[in-house]
Amino acid sequence: MKHIQVQIQISIFCLVFSSFPQIGQSQNHTAIDIIEKADKKQRGDYSQGEMKMSIIRPDWSRETTMKMWSYQDDLSLILVTEPARDQGTAFLKRFKEMWNWQPSIDRTIKMPPSMMSQSWMGSDFTNDDLVKQSSMVVDYTHEITGEDDLEGRPCWEITLTPKDDAAVVWGKVITWIDHKDYLQLKTEFYDEDDYLVNTMTAKEITDLGGRILPRIMEMVPADEEGHMTKIEYLSLDFSKPIKESFFSVRNMQKVR
Amino acid sequence: MKSLQLDFKRKLLLILIILSSTIIYSQSEEKESKIHINGYIKSLQGLFDFSLAPGQPRQTITDNFLHHRLNLDYYISDNITFKSGLRTRLFFGEFSRIQPGYGNLLTEGGNDVINMTLINSGQNILLHSIVDRAYLEYTKENLEVRLGRQRINWGINTLWNPNDLFNAYSFTDFDYAERPGSDALRVRYFIGFAGSIEFAIKAFKDTNEIVAVGLYKFNKNNYDYQILAGWSGKDVVLGGGWAGSISDVGFKGEFSWFNSTSDEVDNAFAITSSFDYSLGNGTYFIGGLLFNDSSNNQSNSNIFSFDLSARNLYPYKWSTFIQTTIPITPLINGGFAFIYSPVESRPIFLSPTLSYSIANNLDVDLVGQLVLQDGANGYGSQANVFYLRMKWSY
Repeated sequence: MKHIQVQIQISIFCLVFSSFPQIGQSQNHTAIDIIEKADKKQRGDYSQGEMKMSIIRPDWSRETTMKMWSYQDDLSLILVTEPARDQGTAFLKRFKEMWNWQPSIDRTIKMPPSMMSQSWMGSDFTNDDLVKQSSMVVDYTHEITGEDDLEGRPCWEITLTPKDDAAVVWGKVITWIDHKDYLQLKTEFYDEDDYLVNTMTAKEITDLGGRILPRIMEMVPADEEGHMTKIEYLSLDFSKPIKESFFSVRNMQKVR
Repeated sequence: MKSLQLDFKRKLLLILIILSSTIIYSQSEEKESKIHINGYIKSLQGLFDFSLAPGQPRQTITDNFLHHRLNLDYYISDNITFKSGLRTRLFFGEFSRIQPGYGNLLTEGGNDVINMTLINSGQNILLHSIVDRAYLEYTKENLEVRLGRQRINWGINTLWNPNDLFNAYSFTDFDYAERPGSDALRVRYFIGFAGSIEFAIKAFKDTNEIVAVGLYKFNKNNYDYQILAGWSGKDVVLGGGWAGSISDVGFKGEFSWFNSTSDEVDNAFAITSSFDYSLGNGTYFIGGLLFNDSSNNQSNSNIFSFDLSARNLYPYKWSTFIQTTIPITPLINGGFAFIYSPVESRPIFLSPTLSYSIANNLDVDLVGQLVLQDGANGYGSQANVFYLRMKWSY
């Protein structure tokens, strides 16, 4: 179980910090422009907060709560606060390196790079859903294929088709991005045979740490009844700068 | 006899009070409070199958105990913290019963120089409680000083750790990952994001027991490195280790040279290295080697009870290991460890494990430890140990 936990938390590095769309205005409403705006604005400088992840299955559910600190995509620190079994376990990522702190054995473990590109075990997210967000820009062609209202907001429906030479797992991606704040409110992932695989939905748009963001994200696999992974932000703050020295092996051991 | 029973009951009551108060406390705990408490309760059912000596009939005995751990951290001020750990076990199986003075053995193995055993009572039903962490930590900017009973874990490699001079770890001891503490002084000065220079010295009764070592850690080209030098018992020790990667594969290693100052003990050299890799679906592999120069390489060595230290981490000269963990479902994890040493008896250590998460803080594990080697009846299983463990964390 511990190993699964580890993997979940690693992937959260990739996931959590790449999913903060930001506010912006644009006059050009071409598909590529909208996607680029949604993508660029996901790259905040500093952020810190607390989130809860729930893995929900028809007959069970598990929750993990963690505190997170990050600087751009390069530096991040995660501290598990719940469940008690994993409390105090921490992860530090600096560029391509990653460490894990195990308080029970007083030991820092350097993690192999293969763990960073791992799928998000136990949950319904996979790395390709969100981690490689920037690939949404470079690996696909984009077309506005409709308009829809989600969460009470008018949205563009944009269909992404992979370029011939792109190494991506999806056959097609349809995403709904809202006109006002460029929030990615819903995304459908299709396989190569055009079957829906996963649907990601953003909910409860609210002011989180000074930004308009969805507080909840849900990933639901299409062919598995009652399965869902939910990410809920308990708090977020983008205003406090974090020193580069905060992201150290020592601080991973000390942070509370 | 009556007073003994009373004494026992009183202690049991005391433990129950501690237990219940910690549970209540942990439930009503406030954020950023000055006191932080956590721990676990485990129930273990063990089955041992072995023969006491070659040629003797095999016997099966049970091992049953409850294991409670309480960690208490008290944040006295911004700079000073007191950290402690209490380990309490209640044994009621055959394994503890057939060993006279088992409690004293636990006291001896669990303590360093200072005796911090709180309770050692009973024979048929044995209650044993020991403080295995109790230290003050002072921090100021990049400096950290720890004084008291603490775990000094210097390993950088995954399975075997020749750099772990203060408290060597044996993987057969699966139920005590925390390990006993050392009564020591440790001073660290942190440099950069992954570097430090530190010095640690352990309390000693006579000069032959001195362990006093300096350690320097640094990070270069995406590798963590460490170098150490000092005294460990009768040896002058020089060692080092690394943790990095080749492409996507983790690459780690550790070595120590023990230069004996005594005529009775030979010099020794131990080196180990390992590679680990994780597949997209979460399956994890690790494989590695140990060269242990100090081993006498005797074919009939006992993997469960040999003289474990950083200079002797496994009873054979050469050993190779492979381990894998497989997430069968999000709640069920399987694992398998295999260690082989190329000596005449061809000893293989196998450890299959299965863990199941019953609830957020409740886990059940099935752990097997099997030794295959040449014995009186040819090659085969010589000793088997199975444990069923239930763990509730709070």
